[in-house]
Amino acid sequence: MIKLYTKSNVSKIAQLSCKLSCAAIVAIAFSAATLKINSSIAAETDIKSSNLSSLPKDSLNSVMWDFVATEFLLSDKSSKKIVMNNQILVHAPKVAEDQLNLPIHVDARSVKNVQKIVVIADLNPIPKVLTYEPKQAEARLSFRIKVGQATPVRAAVLDKDGVWHVGGTFVDASGGGCSQPAVAYGNDDWVKRLAEIRGKIWRTPGQKSAKLRFSVRHPMDTGLADGIPAFFVEKLEFKGANDKLIGNLIIHEPISENPTVTLFPILKEATTAVRIKGRDNEGNLIDVAVPAPVQSSALQN
Amino acid sequence: MDKVRRSLLIGGASSLAAPILPAFAAPLKYNLKAQRIANNSYVVIGKTEDYSPDNGGDIVNVAFIDTSDGVVLIDTGSSRRYGEALKQLIYATTGKDVIRVYNTHFHPDHCLGNQLFDKKKIAALPKTISGLKASGEDFSSNLYRILGDWMRGTEVIVPEKVINYSSEKFGKHRFEMLPFKGHTDADLAILDHETGVLYAGDICFLDRAATTPHADLESWHKSLKEIKKIPHKIIFPGHGPADTTSRSIEQTDSYLTWLETNLTKSARSGKDMLEAAKMSIPEKFQSIDVIQLEIERSVAHLYPGIEEKTLPFLGQGDG
Ligand SMILES: [Zn+2]
Repeated sequence: MIKLYTKSNVSKIAQLSCKLSCAAIVAIAFSAATLKINSSIAAETDIKSSNLSSLPKDSLNSVMWDFVATEFLLSDKSSKKIVMNNQILVHAPKVAEDQLNLPIHVDARSVKNVQKIVVIADLNPIPKVLTYEPKQAEARLSFRIKVGQATPVRAAVLDKDGVWHVGGTFVDASGGGCSQPAVAYGNDDWVKRLAEIRGKIWRTPGQKSAKLRFSVRHPMDTGLADGIPAFFVEKLEFKGANDKLIGNLIIHEPISENPTVTLFPILKEATTAVRIKGRDNEGNLIDVAVPAPVQSSALQN
Repeated sequence: MDKVRRSLLIGGASSLAAPILPAFAAPLKYNLKAQRIANNSYVVIGKTEDYSPDNGGDIVNVAFIDTSDGVVLIDTGSSRRYGEALKQLIYATTGKDVIRVYNTHFHPDHCLGNQLFDKKKIAALPKTISGLKASGEDFSSNLYRILGDWMRGTEVIVPEKVINYSSEKFGKHRFEMLPFKGHTDADLAILDHETGVLYAGDICFLDRAATTPHADLESWHKSLKEIKKIPHKIIFPGHGPADTTSRSIEQTDSYLTWLETNLTKSARSGKDMLEAAKMSIPEKFQSIDVIQLEIERSVAHLYPGIEEKTLPFLGQGDG
């Protein structure tokens, strides 16, 4: 955490507070960066045109589909093919009330042997939202993202045969006049509370998985606003009893500030805690144990 | 409204005037009506709806008081066009000019009609002024996007008269300034001692769900408690009908309590924001307009904060 207490970082965070409180500014930064992406598509197209011809038609009719498929899916070394699959569920509100906090739930339990889930918001300047590799966990999760404009939000699920199963939904991002997000930051205790971790595990008898919900206090800055470098939590690893890997979560800049995530680990009865380890892109470490209650309904709440 | 008309509205004025579509050529017009609720006191009651191209943003209550010094106006509506219609209505009703305007708080439905009035005569609490300075342009561009041509020519006008006094008198009417907070950082209620009408702004809603984009629920409850103690004959809420039984205080208070209790329960049981938005509405709130929509919005506004209070602290990262 040492780096975070330097003066320049403090002022950076103060600046960031202003930027993040204003969806419009984020939107401007986002659209400027979209232009950059568009020009990079042209370059990509030649190299990968052979792949493009075999792409399935995008069920969300996104202008970014070719780019998204080439850049984030076909580029994966185990990738063999892409199929559209409406059993991949992406739940989101139809309209983003708060463009900085759009809740998403992805459920890919219909796919067997899930290797990873990649979540992409096509029209964000940084489209890639996260990659989740569930090991001892169900292939579903909840989280919140920032959106700069109306955009498809999709989940691509890679199975062990190298097939990407792609599903998604479209989110409109025009909020109401009264719908500016509340000012989340700007208070003085901000730096002191950086990387605070909160969380809890719920177990319900008879259910295959437990529920782990946690949050990390972090700005998750995109680096797109003027003069503010990207600053975000990038990797989290979850382990149960005997260091058994529950899953890996790689999150990117579009995840909302104070990332708040639900995972569904499959815990052995004797598991007493889930350990979360990770870091942000400035090397700050996260290491915390979330106590797992004894498997009993009496301990709910 | 059908799709064609909606797209025309959003597309702007020129398409509206196209001769092929005579049905749409009539200029957009608010149909504002003044209702007398007390001596010299008139209210214009907005629709208890969300902003839409159908209602043009006529979704807010405004009020005006006809004093012997001139007209006192409380809030100015969502657009320049609304301000125009309001000004005409005031003149037709009283034959007098407006000498004082109050903006109860910085939300755009309450102050984007300011343009029609002298900004030196528009009074507001300091934080309403700073809030409108900071967010006015974003509010207005959001409304342009939603309302289209209704918003044509609307500009954000920031009040220049700071309310740092406790009352002022026009004619026989002494207006007491009652600064509250909770709906926003600065919510002005005004008591007219001559008539006993308490203009509550958005501290009180009636039969229209309360909105929470800038709410602090604890302060809001405190304000409602305070407002209850103030002797009055009629409460005029920011949204919904005039209230002679203080029902608007009770309803706003119990709705917000219910909302927070529910969201806290959801957070305690580990629900995410999408799950938390699915709540069953109790019988007594079912007749409240746009409640489902406002619940969904309120979850977006309030749930992250509630979760932060609810989820147990486990530790802090270190480098
Ligand atoms: Zn309001």
